[in-house]
Amino acid sequence: MDIQLKLFATYRRYLPPESQGSVCDLGVPAGTRVADLLAEFGIPADGSVILVNGHGAGPERSLDSGDVVAVFPSMAGG
Amino acid sequence: MFGWHGKMIRVDLTTGAVSVEEVDSQVAKDFIGGRGWAIKALYDEVDAGVEPLSPDNKLIFGTGPLTGTPAPTGNRYMVVTKSPLTGALSCSNAGGVFPTEMKRTGFDQFMFEGRATRPVYLWVHDDEVEVRPAEHLWGKTVPETVKVLLEETDPRAKVACIGPAGERLVRIAGIMNDEHRAAARSGVGAVMGSKNLKAVVVRGTTSVPLAEPEAMKDLCRTVRAEVKADVKKGSSLREYGTAYVPIVTNEIGILPTRNFQTGVFEGVEGITGHVLTERYLIRPKACFGCPIACGRLTRVDDPVYGGQGEGPEYETIAALGSGCGLDNLAAVTKANYLCNELGLDTISIGMTLACAMEMVEKGVLPQEDVGRSLRFGDADAVIDLIGKTAYREGFGDALAEGSYRLAERYGRPEFSITAKKLEFPGYDPRGAKGMGLLYATSNIGASHMAGDLAYPEVFGVPERVDPLSTDEKPRLIKRFEDAFAVIDAAGLCVFLSVRYFFDPKVDLWPTRLTQLMNYATGAGYTEEELLRAGERIFNLERLFLLKAGFTGKDDTLPRRMLEEPMPDGPAKGHVVELGQMLPEFYRLRGWDEDGVPTGAKLTELDLTGL
Repeated sequence: MDIQLKLFATYRRYLPPESQGSVCDLGVPAGTRVADLLAEFGIPADGSVILVNGHGAGPERSLDSGDVVAVFPSMAGG
Repeated sequence: MFGWHGKMIRVDLTTGAVSVEEVDSQVAKDFIGGRGWAIKALYDEVDAGVEPLSPDNKLIFGTGPLTGTPAPTGNRYMVVTKSPLTGALSCSNAGGVFPTEMKRTGFDQFMFEGRATRPVYLWVHDDEVEVRPAEHLWGKTVPETVKVLLEETDPRAKVACIGPAGERLVRIAGIMNDEHRAAARSGVGAVMGSKNLKAVVVRGTTSVPLAEPEAMKDLCRTVRAEVKADVKKGSSLREYGTAYVPIVTNEIGILPTRNFQTGVFEGVEGITGHVLTERYLIRPKACFGCPIACGRLTRVDDPVYGGQGEGPEYETIAALGSGCGLDNLAAVTKANYLCNELGLDTISIGMTLACAMEMVEKGVLPQEDVGRSLRFGDADAVIDLIGKTAYREGFGDALAEGSYRLAERYGRPEFSITAKKLEFPGYDPRGAKGMGLLYATSNIGASHMAGDLAYPEVFGVPERVDPLSTDEKPRLIKRFEDAFAVIDAAGLCVFLSVRYFFDPKVDLWPTRLTQLMNYATGAGYTEEELLRAGERIFNLERLFLLKAGFTGKDDTLPRRMLEEPMPDGPAKGHVVELGQMLPEFYRLRGWDEDGVPTGAKLTELDLTGL
């Protein structure tokens, strides 16, 4: 299934090179959880704000086709 | 005294007389400093019904007990007066280096009263205080003014001044310090202009006495090590400044767009932090003693929008960028430079322009009145009208009154997205309900700085709360308003304070902040006493508003926020359920159903007999 991953602020460094701006279109297996995505891209779950379709979500959230996952660090460093 | 010098300068601009006064030690402790001392003085000395631009209004510059100490981000000052924009309180905060230098003169607070017959500036060099002529500075921009003043005082001095906007009594004029930092909101620059006070220049060599300097040093070392470790892991504020925020608020659907007609902006990628960092950033810039450095020293190489200066920060991007439908960061940055040079609040001018654009779009404001085209997304119109506003030229004279008076002039005040006539900052409260309650109840109008619940609602600091829920928001807003009053009064910056000086729970328990305050002042605060002092400050401000004629009916939001559901994005369908939150907020505050503090509450806060 197709989903979209958005990484903001300092997490932009985890974006794959083919990304446009802050956004990466991904094909993932059905049943993929947010935690699987974080692990695949090496994004820390601790200290992160996770949004699915603009609403807060936890790492155990299972994704559906068309979901937009956005992750950014809670404001470390101030 | 420790932490405080315990002394203030009073300047009667009408006569030119300068006096030094001591501050009562109990008042010092009960009201903390900065914002707290200022409201105590304003309440005691100024008729709340005063015309804000008359000589009878007073203008107060106040530092806190932690300003100029080793406390990280202890570099802030407050400007407090009655606002010519709102008729409520002005309570505007800035960092940079000026506040630290001001504290090092050996005085905690400057109070200006009356009106000079000719333009003047104040020069304070340690205990030498002089009111000097400033006719040669009148009409000059902020950078021009600073240049001349450093030449004729001391190159190491620091300057706070107004630009042409403040001189012309523009109701959205700010006071600039260190050229690029702004005590921006609710027209403090116009009050300074009304007093014919062009600038305040300070040079100080008096260090702040500390009650427990070794303990202070140890705690500050610990905090700095924590911040350093976090910055090393990756600090969004260091790398992008607050400019990283538009893409975050857009994602949850609360980025003000085209005068708050929606909360998602299709052009957000063009105005967000990585563009600023990659294209325009020269280097991050820190306020005095700040380990974060969220300030942006930038340069734009562009034939139309070229320039060099500081900014933009998030609020500026939200107001002058998405608020006005602009996706061109070079133009937003240029607009920011102009506001800094002319002494304008970027939030209020941006949102006032956005209001005018919507009125043109809806056929309420005839283009011939504007004298030019004015459409969302028109960068040249934004830049042109910023200049005209600062000089009150043409349609700029109407914009200079702020969005409420502009919209009211055309019989459609609902187009002004304001609370108590102060333009909203960059969070549409339909998708962040706590911010809605904050805007409605802040003593200065719609300010995020009065108790920024965006920390938990948007950024997950200290922990995330659901922005679309009203649950717990009355309790949290009360706590945030009280805690932010303490931060302001102490002389700290909220950016570092919320994360490092409070326990990491959303209730903001001030364990470390209390230690810092006691190491500085030796006043023996408990955590409860410190929060109660914040509550005391907030309530005394409220009493000032009530005396000025405000009532509970003014604790409200524009119709758009209460009745027009967000049209799209994650907050689609939402309004602010203010009616659900406000009664509970009043109850928790110990106020009656009309929003008036009860006698029992005033007794609890030692605010009786005022």
